[in-house]
Amino acid sequence: MVSIDLLLNAVVAGILIGGFYAAVSLGISVVFGLLDIANIAHPLFVITGSYFTFYLNSNFGLDPILVGLILMPLFFVIGNIVYQSYYHFFEKQGAEPLRGLVFFFGVLFLIEVSIIITFGVDYQLVEAAYLGESLNLGIVNVSYRLFIPFLVGVLLTTGLHFFFAKTFYGRAIMGVSQDSLALSLMGADPVRIKSVAFGIGIATASMAGALLVMILPIEPALGREYIGRVFAVAVLGGLGSVKGALFAAIILGIAESLTATYFGAAWSSGVSFGFLLLVLAVRPAGLFGR
Amino acid sequence: MKVLHDVSIEMTEGETVILLGTNGNGKSTLIKTIMGIVPPNQGEIIFESEGVQINLVGKKPQEIVNMGITMVPEGRRLFPQLTVEENLYLGAFRREARQNLERNLSYCFEVFPRLGERRTQLAGSMSGGEQQMLALARAIMSSPKILLIDEPSVGLAPILVSQLMTSIKEMKENLNLTVLMTEQNFSQATKIADRGYIIVHGKIEFRGSNVELSGNELVKQYYLGT
Repeated sequence: MVSIDLLLNAVVAGILIGGFYAAVSLGISVVFGLLDIANIAHPLFVITGSYFTFYLNSNFGLDPILVGLILMPLFFVIGNIVYQSYYHFFEKQGAEPLRGLVFFFGVLFLIEVSIIITFGVDYQLVEAAYLGESLNLGIVNVSYRLFIPFLVGVLLTTGLHFFFAKTFYGRAIMGVSQDSLALSLMGADPVRIKSVAFGIGIATASMAGALLVMILPIEPALGREYIGRVFAVAVLGGLGSVKGALFAAIILGIAESLTATYFGAAWSSGVSFGFLLLVLAVRPAGLFGR
Repeated sequence: MKVLHDVSIEMTEGETVILLGTNGNGKSTLIKTIMGIVPPNQGEIIFESEGVQINLVGKKPQEIVNMGITMVPEGRRLFPQLTVEENLYLGAFRREARQNLERNLSYCFEVFPRLGERRTQLAGSMSGGEQQMLALARAIMSSPKILLIDEPSVGLAPILVSQLMTSIKEMKENLNLTVLMTEQNFSQATKIADRGYIIVHGKIEFRGSNVELSGNELVKQYYLGT
């Protein structure tokens, strides 16, 4: 017997969590989708954002969203530095992508160990007055703990979408991996363009990290759980499509939520990846791929 | 390995100069050297603008583009996964070109109405002729003073080559461009050129006006098959 309100609540929770998944995956959509760099350390940058948010929230009482926002420039600079190192040691030498992958594995472990040394392995969570409250819409109950991350995720995605579609830098980022020599013939410096793009990708991780620690208690190894999921969202949405990433994230969120509600949470990731394979079999470019 | 040696060419403002030669003689290498894509071992490339002389050797392609020198590369080098419109907007990346974006865009659509009809189509899905139009239009979007065109006729049907040459001439005249074009297609290229050079094995073997080129032995040997 299917109960309507159980179903509705599961779908709504899925949509909300999807908006959050979009925020976590945006960096991969940009860096992997547009620059062809498999930054598997991205979820660890997200976790770093979570720990910074936790630290500033628990010590100074700063609002998590505000922390995510003010950390974005710092993360942008960190992204620049990471890309410049990657460029000088790998890309410039014409190294195979596989060696670059090893570099990002290294970055991943480095971040994880640093977090463990600094913050320990205990679960941490942030406080904010609105986090415990919820919006009651008849049979559907919307908790702010999920609704605010959803809203911020959608705003972040929309902002990036317009950045890519409407600005000269955005368009240059879309073109740079297709033909970087041609881009230099347009008067743009390809290395600088990639550096900016990588910086933007990492900057989204600070906000995603703030959202993550609002939703769930965090621990240092949590980032690993997201590695598969973020790549799934980026590929499902169509590589390089920010809009696609949002829709893919919401679809994945709903699929996971329904599975968790009816079959148990253990099946969630299995269903997500099954769904991914199915879509790729029918539409190899992803939902919004070109 | 030395590819080019003893190469000395010059152009004055408003000229259309062609660089003729068959495959593998160094035409493209010369253009790439001017654009900073291939670094020369020796020599100078002097660009004079408003009485100031600048040596282009050692400058990066993007720096040279920002001086108003734009190249239409061999093989077009479009962004295949971007639309016609996005390719054109990217052409206007440099600061000076952004101010003239609307004017240049409508001019491009006037010269190549086909591009206007296909604004939202992906560049990679267009025919060779349309792609060459887009490559030229994208270069025009950067508001160049000097346009270097590398082998525009490669892979195109004769009728398209003829139309393309007419368009290049039209754009050159309307926008007061200085054009350097490499070509293998002698008869089509000389239709729009003021004068030209013939390059053989990395050396300039002949220079002269259109009329002089047409009566030259090298030309007969290379292009007219006699």
